[in-house]
Parts: sequence; C-alpha cells; structure tokens
Amino acid sequence: MRVGGLSGLLLCVWAVTVSGSGLVNTNVIRTVDLQKLPFVHEQVGVVVQNDHPSKVFKTYTISIPLDKAPKLSQVTVHERKSGDALAVSKEGVFQDTQQYRVALRRGLQPGEKLSLNIDLLFVSLVEPQPKAVAQSDDQSWLWDDRARVASLYPTRKQKTVVKTRGDVLRFTKENAAKDARTVVFGPFTDDAEGRVQVAIRDNGEQMEAVTHRREYFVSHWADDLNVLEHYALRNLGPELSGGFDKVDQMVSKYMRRRDNLVKTLLVKVPEDARSMYFVDEIGNVSTSAVTGRRRPKGEGEPFKILQLKPRFPLPGGWNYTWWHGYSVPLHRYLKISDGRHLLRLPFIGSLAACASQEGELTVAMANAQNTAVRAYKLRVTLPEGARDISVQLPVAGEPLLVPTKYYFDSVGRTVVVITHANVAPELASRHILVSYSYAPLALWLKPAVVAAALFALFMLASVASRMQYGLTPKRPAAKSKAAKKQSGKAE
Amino acid sequence: MVNKVLGLTAADQASLLRIAILGLISLVAIGSRLYSVIRFESVIHEFDPWFNYRTTRYLVNNGFDKFWNWFDETAWYPLGRVVGGTLYPGIMVTSATIYNALHLINIPVDIRNVCVFLAPAFSALTAIATYHLGKEVKNATAGLLAAAFIGVAPGYISRSVAGSYDNEGIAIFLLVFTFFLWLRSVRLGSALYGALTAISYFYMVSAWGGYVFIINLIPLHVFALLAMGRFSNRLYVAYSTFYVIGTLASMQIPFVGFQPTFTSEHMAALGTFGLIQLVAFASFARTLVPENHFRILLRGAVVSLFVVGLGGLVLLTMSGVIAPWTGRFYSLWDTGYAKIHIPIIASVSEHQPTAWPNFFFDLNMLIWLLPAGIYFSFRELNDNHVFLILYSIFAAYFASVMVRLILTLTPIVCVLAGVAMAHVFETYLNFRDVPSATQTKAKAVPAVVASTDEAQRPTDSASGDILVEDADSASGHKKDGKRGKGAKKNAAKAVESTSDTSADGAAPSSAQPSTPASKELSPAHKRFYAIFPKFVVMTCFMFLLCMFQWHCSWITSTAYSSPSVVLSSRAPDGSHLIIDDFREAYYWLRKNTKPEAKVLSWWDYGYQLAGMADRTTLVDNNTWNNTHIATVGKIMASDEDTAYELARRHDVDYVLVVFGAMLGYSGDDINKFLWMVRIAQGVYPDDIKEEEFYNRQGQYAISDDASPAMKNSLMHKLSYYRFADVMGGQGFDRVRKQKLPTSVTLDNFEEAYTTENWMVRIYKVKDLDNFGRSHHAASKF
Repeated sequence: MRVGGLSGLLLCVWAVTVSGSGLVNTNVIRTVDLQKLPFVHEQVGVVVQNDHPSKVFKTYTISIPLDKAPKLSQVTVHERKSGDALAVSKEGVFQDTQQYRVALRRGLQPGEKLSLNIDLLFVSLVEPQPKAVAQSDDQSWLWDDRARVASLYPTRKQKTVVKTRGDVLRFTKENAAKDARTVVFGPFTDDAEGRVQVAIRDNGEQMEAVTHRREYFVSHWADDLNVLEHYALRNLGPELSGGFDKVDQMVSKYMRRRDNLVKTLLVKVPEDARSMYFVDEIGNVSTSAVTGRRRPKGEGEPFKILQLKPRFPLPGGWNYTWWHGYSVPLHRYLKISDGRHLLRLPFIGSLAACASQEGELTVAMANAQNTAVRAYKLRVTLPEGARDISVQLPVAGEPLLVPTKYYFDSVGRTVVVITHANVAPELASRHILVSYSYAPLALWLKPAVVAAALFALFMLASVASRMQYGLTPKRPAAKSKAAKKQSGKAE
Repeated sequence: MVNKVLGLTAADQASLLRIAILGLISLVAIGSRLYSVIRFESVIHEFDPWFNYRTTRYLVNNGFDKFWNWFDETAWYPLGRVVGGTLYPGIMVTSATIYNALHLINIPVDIRNVCVFLAPAFSALTAIATYHLGKEVKNATAGLLAAAFIGVAPGYISRSVAGSYDNEGIAIFLLVFTFFLWLRSVRLGSALYGALTAISYFYMVSAWGGYVFIINLIPLHVFALLAMGRFSNRLYVAYSTFYVIGTLASMQIPFVGFQPTFTSEHMAALGTFGLIQLVAFASFARTLVPENHFRILLRGAVVSLFVVGLGGLVLLTMSGVIAPWTGRFYSLWDTGYAKIHIPIIASVSEHQPTAWPNFFFDLNMLIWLLPAGIYFSFRELNDNHVFLILYSIFAAYFASVMVRLILTLTPIVCVLAGVAMAHVFETYLNFRDVPSATQTKAKAVPAVVASTDEAQRPTDSASGDILVEDADSASGHKKDGKRGKGAKKNAAKAVESTSDTSADGAAPSSAQPSTPASKELSPAHKRFYAIFPKFVVMTCFMFLLCMFQWHCSWITSTAYSSPSVVLSSRAPDGSHLIIDDFREAYYWLRKNTKPEAKVLSWWDYGYQLAGMADRTTLVDNNTWNNTHIATVGKIMASDEDTAYELARRHDVDYVLVVFGAMLGYSGDDINKFLWMVRIAQGVYPDDIKEEEFYNRQGQYAISDDASPAMKNSLMHKLSYYRFADVMGGQGFDRVRKQKLPTSVTLDNFEEAYTTENWMVRIYKVKDLDNFGRSHHAASKF
C-alpha cells in the first residue's frame, strides 16, 4: 500500500528525530497482572523527563512489540498527578514495534518531568507449557516477555513485577526475586537484553472466541427483541497427550475429580428472556438448562443463567461452534420521544466456560471472565421503515449501515454493523445507542403488502377458473352453467 | 333451483365441498408427517437424505452449472465421484427452485427447512393427484376416498415424513400424476394430454430410478389393450405422443443418457411403440383390403414379425448391443439371487422380501379392499380399468419381493380401495328405494352422521352421489347415466338434509311405496327392513374407517417418525431422553480435525459423514464400487498390522466405528460385521474367510472365547478397546448378551474421541514412529 508506505516513511523520519533528541524514561515500573487469565493487564508507570536543552515536547510515544500487538485489547494513559485521561492515537510500525502516540496535556518544557500511567490490556497472551498434558493433569502456563519495556526513548532504570493467581513453578532467576505469588525482575538499565519468564500452575479455564457475533432483531409488531449470539470457541489450554481418554472422563465424573474438560458454558440472560434455543451447524443441541432468577451482588438487573452443554467436552485445543438465542420484550430497551425511537442495547453479552464436575452451578461461575473475544461483530437489524439512523458506540469505530430484506419485506430495512477486535471484559456493562425515526404508518406496511399479494393470488385463481381453455366450446350446457356462475358471482 | 345454500347452487356447493375436503385431506396429510419435527426437530433423517441435502446445498450455493459439472473429490477417496452425472437431480432442482422463489419474494427461509418440509408438501399434492386419478377411473367419491387414503397410508408416509428428504418424496406424486395424465390422454385421445404425460414422465425420470416402472407399465397397458382388441385411434395418439416426447426428454438426464435405446428395461416400451405403429397400419389397411384377404395378411405379418422381433432382441442381447438386466432387476425375479451374487444388495434390510404382516402394517384395511376394487374394475371393464388391474397385479408382485416397493403399491391400493369404498357408499347410502322418504330420511341421515367421528365422511359421500353424474357422463358410463336427473335431485336433497335436518318435516313426500310384494308388511316394517341393513353396514364401515385412521396415525407416530440420526428413549423415571451420539461424533470431526482429513467407516455412514462432519470418506451409500467397499471391509476384518498398512496406504487419518454395547443399540458395526466379512471375501477370498470368524462352537462370539480372527480383527479391537475397564470385570455386552473380552490391546490406533454413550468411537491412525516402524512392531520389539 502506497499510503501506508509513505506514512511509514514519514513516521520513520519523525521517530528518528524524536529518538535522537531528549525525552528520557528516568524510571519505569511495569506490573503484569496474570490473575485474570486469559486477560493480561500490564500497568506501566513511566517518569518522563525532557533532557533536550530547548525543545518542548507535546507528545509521548508508546511502543508495542509486533508479536504482542495483535493481542492488544486497549491502551489507556493517565497523568498520574491529575488522574486525567490522555488521548491516544494509533500510528504506524517502526522497528518491529507498533506505535501509539499520546497527546500530552501541555508541552513538556526542557528539564521538566512527568509521570504517566499506561494501562495495556492483552488477551490470550500466555501459552500452555507443556503444550500437551494428560486429561486430568494440572495445566501450567508460561509468561514470556522481554526483560525491557520496549520504548523509543532511553530508559535509565526499570523494574517488572509479575503477579499470579496460581503457584509459581519456576522463573528466570537472573536479577529476580520471588515473594509468594509475586515475582520481581530488575532493576534493569537500558542495555538489558534477553527475556524473562514465569511458569505458573493455573487450572482456571481459558477460552478464546475466535469469532463472536451478536445480533439483535427489532420487531415493533411483536414487541420483541430477538437476541442471537454466535460463537466459534476454542479452549486455550494444553492439548491432550495420548488422545482422548473416555474411561478417565467417566471415572473423573463419577469420582467428582477435576479434569481439563470444559463441560458447560454459562450465559447470563435477562430474567424475562423466553423462547431460548441452542443450535449448532447440524441442528439442535438438546443439552441445555436455565436456572431461576438470580440477583447480582451490587447494582444491575436480575438475570437467569443459561447453561449450555456442548455436544462434546472441550479439552485444550478443541473447538466448538454454536449459536443460541432468546427473546426479550422490546419495550424494556426502547424509548420513544419526539417521534424518535431510542434503542439502548448491551454492547456485548457474557460467556463463562466451566470445567467443574459439580452439578450445582453458582453465580460466581457464571461471572467468571475467562473467555476472550478476538473478533467481534455486532449487528442490529432495525424494523422496516426506520429512517435517519444514528448510532452511538462505547468504543472507537464507525458503524456500517447495510440494507437488507427480511421476511415479507417490500422496501427493505437497515442493519447496523459494528466490528471490534479483542474485546475488553468491561465492555459487557456498556451499551450501544441506536436512534431512528419511524412513521406510525410504517407498521401497517407489511400487512398491507401481504394482503395485497393474497388478493392478487385469489384474483388470479378466480380469473383462471373461469377461463375456457378448449378451442371449441364443449357443451352448450356447460357453457350456460359457467355463464350463470359468473353472473351469480357478479351480483 | 330452489335448493340454494349460501346462495350457491347444488353443483357449486359440491365443488366447494370438494375443494374444502381436498384442502382438509392435504392438511391431514401434511400434519401427520410432522411427528418427527415436533418430537425432535427440523432435521434431515437417515442416510440417503443427507446426500440429497448436501447436493441441494451445493446447488443453492454454487448455481446449476457448477452443480451439473460437480466432481466431488471428498467422496470415494481417492477415486472421487462425478456427482452431476450419477444422480437424479429432480429433488435438488425442485428444492432449489422453491428456495429461490421464496427468496425472490423476500421470504429468506433456510434451505434445510425447504428440504425437511418438501416431502410433506408433496404428499398434499399426491393426495390431489390421487383424487384426480380416482375421479378419472370412477367418480369424485372414489377420488376423494382415494385421496383421503393416500394422505395417511403408512406405506407412503414411511418415505415422506418431514425430514425424509429422498427421491421417493416427490416421485410418488409424479408417479400418480403421470398415470392420471396417461389415463386421461387415453380416454380423450388427446395429443395435448399425451405431451403432458411425457413432461410429467420427464420430471419423474429426473427424480427417481423408479421411472422404469412407468416406462414398463404404460407399454404393458397399451399391449394389453391391443391384445384385447381394444385398439383405438385415441390409444394410438396417446401412446405415440407420450413415447416419442417422453423418451427424448428422458435422455436429457445425464444419468439416464442413451439407456432408453439399448437397455433391456426400456425395450418393452420401444417394442410396443413399434407394435402400435403396425397395428395402426393394419387397421388402416383393413379399410382398404377386403376382410378375408386381410386376415391372411395379418396372420402372416404377426407371426413373421414376432419371430423377427424376438430373434433380433435375443441376438442383440447376446451380442451385447442391448445391455442385459442389471442385478437389482434379477433380484426382483429371484429373491435368492442377491444373497448369492451381490451381497451388498442383500445386506440392505429394505431389499429383503416382504413379510405378510408388513402389508397389513403399511396398508391396514386397504389391503383387503384391493381385491374388491379389482373385482369392481373387472365388472365395468374399460380401458382405464385394465390399467388399474395391471398396475395392481404388478405392483403387488414387486411389493412382495422387496419391502421398499410397498411404496409403489400404495397408490394403486388407495385408488382401488377408494373405488370399492365408493361402491359401498353408493349402495348403502342410497335412500332412493326406501319407502316414505320423509320419515326415513329424517332417521337415517342423522344416524349416519352420529355413527362417525369425522363429519367429513358423510358429507363426502353425499356430495359424491351428486358428482356421480358429472364424472360418469363424462367417462361414458351409460349404465349409471340412466339414473339421470332424478338422482341428482335426490342427492341434492340428501345434501340439504345433512346440512339442514329441520327442513325435513316440511319436505314433500315424493316417493311412494311402489313394489307390490311389500303389501303384507306395514309401512313401518318396510322402512325398517330398508334402512336397518344399510345402517348396520355403514356403521361397520365407519368403524373400519376410524380404525384405519387410528392405525395410520399410530404407525406413523411409532414406526416412521424417528430421524434415526437422533434416537430417543425413556429414562427409568419415564422422562424423555435424547440420544444424540451420532451428531456428537460428526460434529466433533467437523470441528476438531483438519479439513482434509480422511475418515474411514463402513459405507452406511458415508453420506452422514459427508453431510454432517464435512470430511472426506472412502465409501458411502452410493455403493457403486464394490471393490472399494470390500477393501474397507478387509481393513475392518484384518488384524491390526495389516489393517494399519492398508489404512496408511489409503491415507486414512481417522477410523470411525459404531458400537452399541453400552446402550443396547443393535444396529451397530459388530452386528453388521459379518456382512463386511462376506463382502470382503467376495473380492479377497484368499485373505478373508467368513468361517474363521465363528468360534469353535460355530457361534458368532465376541467374548474371550471368540475365534482368533475375530479377536484380532480391527473392528473387534476398535469396538471393545478399554470398554471392559469401565464396565468392570462382570461387564456385559447389552446387544450380544455376552461377556466382554477382557484384554483388548491397540497399538497403531489412538482413541481420538468416544461419544457420551460410547455409540460412536473415533480412532486416529498413528504416524510411524521415529524409526519408521508401526507402533505395534515397536511395542513387540
């Protein structure tokens, strides 16, 4: 791509001038949180100093190595002192790192220092080690990263702290210290090379939705909001060594012993959800159940838990694709004011994988955030006749408006399509707002079209049944009968 | 006319009733086929439908050109299959057309639902076509009864429940419709109807291999008519039009191609075509030559032509120009033929000869109404009735040879039963001869209404009475025609009285006691003797009709509504259990193996594997290559090392076996294993011998006292591998009722997946180890 190449070149020139000048990271502390796998939260505290004799800096650049960049979910930067969020924009690639530019609140004067908090959220960053274990062995994972935080600027001193949920099995010993479930690497100076590793034992489920699609269908006629969730799911855990072991699976189940097979998928649905279904590419999956009403601890609406049992259990490396759906009353999500219809819909749903052998499934299991969505697509199908559509999103990005035709549509309707990669878990509590205007008569369009079609059909049949097909009239009696029939109808 | 209801004349009322009744019959026909959708789900059933469904999807997604030229390299690995040229595309094209039409008017249905509901929808059309056939051969009463019968007859439902997406689903409609058009074209001598017959026949050819039945039965009908001296110009026009257009059209289907010109199955039609030309010429010559000369001419011509024709046919068959009958057709004449020569045909249960109870099971009371219908056809023998008799005799023979051919028998049984039943109705619901119409009618008609559960039947018969006139005068039944207008009036009154009994008191008494013999009895007695027998007979028949409906629903619900892909059973506490192991295994293959993986299984599961697992198979239900199937049988029957070598040579990645010992599912691979052995033995007699698989007592055992060949066979090992571990030492095979084998070892194959109830077990074929040895050899070393 020419534009990309050109901008890359410009960036290169810009970056060289930047690095040759005087911003310096005087102190960097990186805290890596491995407690919510498969989400890895990196908090990087940086103290930046302007060493340039005269120049004023208005931006700071964050570098993410290219091997980690595709797994980055979000970047947020705060000024430590004021706590203000700073604007971050994605730039090009330079020296095998993806660049993000932070716009500083005001220019950094020569000699001045500034503390920044950079929050990075990654998904599916740690990998199972060893790659394959037996069905009910413990799972262990390896966190493996550069000892030095990648940056365009020289770094005088830096430290990395790794916090884990499970036991630390081993770690890179050089210049490191371990304290229970925390490992501290460093301090390092700028010339530190090489990598640091932490191996942990962690039997928590880690899933990845390779693709996930959520669809809303809005029906004013039935006061119905239909929700469909399509998943292509993969277990990130270690693969099975020596193949699947049916006997072990049955024994484990009988003994209530833990194994690495994900058996249930838990979905929180609104309490008034009805007509639920659970289907995959080859038909119904008959193993699902739904709990009674549950109340969340803090704020939030009551919910039910939909328990989906996949056709087969999912050890590490196995995939499962399915979709489920339900209906909720539309009026709970739709507000009408001044002729504008305003839809407020959850941006994304929740899915928790569960390997537990227990028959009783708890709310905590349903709340577990152990599924990372890599490629997300949201579709909102508006009713026929919705016009002047405007959309407000909780994430950056531009919605697409796609025309489509559905059951008995005549003029067609609009679908709002939004795509997003590496969804952060907190987006589950955010909403998308869609507003549109809808003429009252539009509601009657569909019945009118269907009635007209049926009328035309009957007219056609009526005319066809009165036609004479033979070249010669058959019998005078039949003819007069037909004529009489017609006159009788005409009355 | 004063008898107007809702401002309609009697004729209009009758046609309205007919349409309403046909509509209800269609609804009942569709409705009774939906058990499986309600109990399970909208899913494609069994085996062959999965192939049809897969090809339909391909057609919908890729268009007709690609479908026509489709070479499927995922079937019959490594041979592949030319799909477009080896199937009857009728059903796929029908579904795709419906699908596209619905999408055109913005009804975006799923192609799966089109496929699932195609057969029920066509069963409604079959009922309508049967009505027309019945009306063609007798009258509307017979037509409506026949339609009601075929709507629910289990013999047809067995192949047309929702989800049973197979050729027969539309072919039976086409069969009936073609025959209806044929009979009409013979009656009218119309080239238009002859051409329509040919077009309907072409559709049939495109849809089902059973078209051969039509192309033999119609010539037979023509031949019989000629032999009976019933040659007419109408027959000549009808048959010539039909044969020429029909044959040319049928050759457009690639799978049929030039077969109509050289295979034995089509020779009867060709011969009859020649014969009718000669007869037509003869009858033309007759008008020119004096009678006695003509007779000599005829005799000489017939004898010489017969000799020349037969000699030519034999010569051509011997020299191979005309292909001999195929094996499947031989097995129609000799039921033992397949067992000896083609085990693969004999191994299919639906190719077995029919047991007697099957007829009652599938046709209930219709089966004894059939001879009655034949009798009535003989009594008024016209061209159409000759056809009915021939059809019933031949179809009855074929149905008794092969279970699945009850399907072709069902339509004619329904039509003839309709004819017989219509005669019963006409006789016993005829109150014209009853003295003092006023009072008797008031008694009798409500009584009949009360005696039946379905209000449909009496109105049906009453309207039929009216329709006798229309149909009969059209088909030239002079005998009935005499009854003329009086009957019409009476019948109209009957309708009126059924719908409005309160008017009876005021109705004028037109009929007076006319027979002098009845003088001795009082009028009340006379009425009693006139009504009572009718009442008794009709009650009996109503009871039988209700039992018939009851039987049909029950059979449909219990025997024919299981998708066989999904099974159901009852838990000990009576709750409904769904056993979904097949789809569990197929979906596992679909999601967790590499897309180009080759899966080896017995051919029964080939279509399902292709459809649900979307993986390459070695053999499938097409069974066109016996050697390839025998190779798979050999792999299953050989010891582990031989099987491993063969499997690797065929690039097999996974082996799938069906195993029922956990649940007691008797249709599993161990029970089919002897057929695998037999088929393998047919091709590899040196390597596989059936007798080696019986133990010393000559039993087919699987436990520790099984024969060495059995114990070492791959099938046995894959089935029982580690099964005893979970069942404990006292483990029991619930299908074979035998003890489990205790030490089953497996080295070259690795368990890849076993379903919930152990019904499907999938094994991965291991790679050679680092030294290039098989794992079995390595473990021995």
